[in-house]
Amino acid sequence: MKPQGKDQATAILAALGGVDNIDEIEPCTTRLRSLVRDASRVDAAGLRAAGAFGVMISGRVVQVVVGPHVDLIATDLDELM
Amino acid sequence: MDEAEQGSAHKYLVVRDHLAGLVAQELSVGDAIPSERHLSQQFGLSRMTVRQAVDALVTEGVLVREQGRGTFVAPQRIDFEMRLTTFGEEMRRRGLEPATTVLTAQTVAATPDVATALEIEPGDKVHFLYRVRSADGSPICIEQVWVPVAQAPDLFDDGAPASMYDALRARGLAPEWGEDTLAAGDATDTEASLLGLADARAVLRAERRTYSVDGAVMFSRASYRADRYSVWVPLRAPRPTLVPRRRDAAATTTPGPATAGADDVTAAPGGRR
Repeated sequence: MKPQGKDQATAILAALGGVDNIDEIEPCTTRLRSLVRDASRVDAAGLRAAGAFGVMISGRVVQVVVGPHVDLIATDLDELM
Repeated sequence: MDEAEQGSAHKYLVVRDHLAGLVAQELSVGDAIPSERHLSQQFGLSRMTVRQAVDALVTEGVLVREQGRGTFVAPQRIDFEMRLTTFGEEMRRRGLEPATTVLTAQTVAATPDVATALEIEPGDKVHFLYRVRSADGSPICIEQVWVPVAQAPDLFDDGAPASMYDALRARGLAPEWGEDTLAAGDATDTEASLLGLADARAVLRAERRTYSVDGAVMFSRASYRADRYSVWVPLRAPRPTLVPRRRDAAATTTPGPATAGADDVTAAPGGRR
């Protein structure tokens, strides 16, 4: 099953290549818009397994569609980063 | 000569603003505006300049020209907040009578773009509904809707549902959230004919993914008449951007702007190697 709560934030961060691969993450209303350092370290399947409803990768920008509970995930991500 | 023309190019705005003020404060929907001759005398401008002002407001959808009859105040645009409500609900709330003409209701194989939007495989079965939606008898929008058959096998058993959201709710797939992507465009010939468009062919296209708690349940594409429809979007300040704390801390220990601090450490070269 999809990870819940803080486990979900942990799984998303890992699939984005870990905290070392993050330049910044901007929480939007339904998405996490991330600027990563190395897009090849991003695991799109891992993001889906973490509960993403969609993943768009364009250059170093990775958008992860997570839905309206983005606020909760962002709060958890903030603690992990 | 050039100067005179340039001058008039700006003068039309005076007439345009005057007319826009009349529409906002004195005239009602369907009222005729003052004649071109009257306006031309009132402002001491050529008929051509006056016509330019009227044309501008026709293009903006504020006025409507009727062949051989004159120029009138256009119906106000119907403004929608972008949210997960049904067309019928939104229209009734505005005192308008909604109606739907179903052009197609059938089960088809998902094309790759539809499959991606619904997170299914291309070729998977989807219910497809193609319909024109009207308010008080005038067409407002054309909609194409796709719902995975696997999620709602009996969706079309009693014909096309009047409200897709109601039909999804009845099957335990209540729409919880969604994403709209809006774009402006010119109507295709088919769209223009279905929407009854003549000279003004601008449409607003909305692509929407609708989600229930478990995932995507519906994908739709709609084309709205730009002269009858506008959207309003509630805004709020963004949440702060999340930045890894390690670099955050490094940046604050370096004098100068934070970006320079981040560059000094590892951020800049990291992306490309």
